[in-house]
Amino acid sequence: MSNAYLRFWGVRGSYSAPFDTHLGVGGNTSCVEIRIGDHIMLCDAGTGIIPFGNEIVKQAADQPAVRDLLIILTHYHWDHICGLPFFVPAFIPNWNITFFGPGHSRRDIEEHVSAQMRAPYFPVGTESWLANVRYLDPPKSQTLEWGPMSFSWRSVHHPGTTFGYRIKANGRTILYISDNECLFLDKSIRQKYGEFSAEEQALLSEMQREEYEAEIKLIEGADILIHDAQYSLEDYGKKRGWGHSCYIDTVNTAIDAGVRQLYLYHHDPNYDDRVIARIYDHTQSIIKERNSALQCHIAREGMIVDLS
Amino acid sequence: MEKTRATIVVVDDSPAMKTVFERGTEDLGVELRLFQSAEDSWAYLERHRPALLFLNIKMPGRDGLTLLRDLRELPLHKDTRVVMISSKDYAQDRTAASALGALEFITKPTPIRVITEVVRKYVKAEPV
Repeated sequence: MSNAYLRFWGVRGSYSAPFDTHLGVGGNTSCVEIRIGDHIMLCDAGTGIIPFGNEIVKQAADQPAVRDLLIILTHYHWDHICGLPFFVPAFIPNWNITFFGPGHSRRDIEEHVSAQMRAPYFPVGTESWLANVRYLDPPKSQTLEWGPMSFSWRSVHHPGTTFGYRIKANGRTILYISDNECLFLDKSIRQKYGEFSAEEQALLSEMQREEYEAEIKLIEGADILIHDAQYSLEDYGKKRGWGHSCYIDTVNTAIDAGVRQLYLYHHDPNYDDRVIARIYDHTQSIIKERNSALQCHIAREGMIVDLS
Repeated sequence: MEKTRATIVVVDDSPAMKTVFERGTEDLGVELRLFQSAEDSWAYLERHRPALLFLNIKMPGRDGLTLLRDLRELPLHKDTRVVMISSKDYAQDRTAASALGALEFITKPTPIRVITEVVRKYVKAEPV
């Protein structure tokens, strides 16, 4: 394996799905490793971070440099942080773990990360972590560096302050947007259009254009886009406003933005391997119909993308 | 001596919303100041307390909730009247806004008359 790669350790949204029928895609919740040499960045800390932690502890016996990890969090919903109480490197001295995520200050980020490890919900708190743990203040520049990688962030459409990350790694632009409800305002406008005056309707058309342009700007230039695609069209109809995208919107927006590689991510835990295979087939039809060069994949646990 | 008009500040990156605010306040005798991001508004808001402050949530740069939290740490804005205006119609955002003392949470798309009504409700305006 090259020492420049991206690996999916957890691809489910909402809650883990450790069922026989689901394991072709994988059952762990959000966690992606991006590694350039000894520099490791983890996007989110769902249950996928637990097997990553166990694996990296083994590697550290021969490669001490990998004991320095950065964890960037999109937000603090359980499926994105619930692996941390069982993340072995945090409980070992001489490991260095750095956190970044939404928050007003490093103290704010620390408070959000620590909140789940409190009685009566968990027997020990983050004070039991033996690693050197630090939290980064959000800089005014909205850009941070981690070894040869850099990353910036933007607010996306999901309950609470939620970030989508733009990561530069080994000459690639990777967009990690685990939770984002694509074109939500557009759908609200279409629903309520008739309630507005002619003057207002002209403004609504302008807002639709603005929102579409903002979505395109969010993901344009991506060599690799990892994006929320939680719902089928039928389920999205029932769960609109829950903060997740219908995969059809994700694919169409990626095509419009000229994305090269799209990884559909944050799969609904109710969808077994057969349902997700049907979703994949449909995405290929959409891409063919639109005569697009987009390469669309289902993010699967254990999948490795070469970044060399 | 000319009376100072009440100032309404809007922080929203949407040019279309700028028109909604202009139309919604044009007959109210208030001064409207618009900024497209938290960063653009900061130098002004550090020194001025508007009669009413409208904040969008999802914007490039700092989001509206983070901006509100930063403002509340300034003594000048401890009690500033704030209304959130967003397409993010989620309970978590409403709760966070309320905890930071926002008076109302208006969802987009927003009719012009709603802006007029909210400004009238919270600001003693001078008729034009």
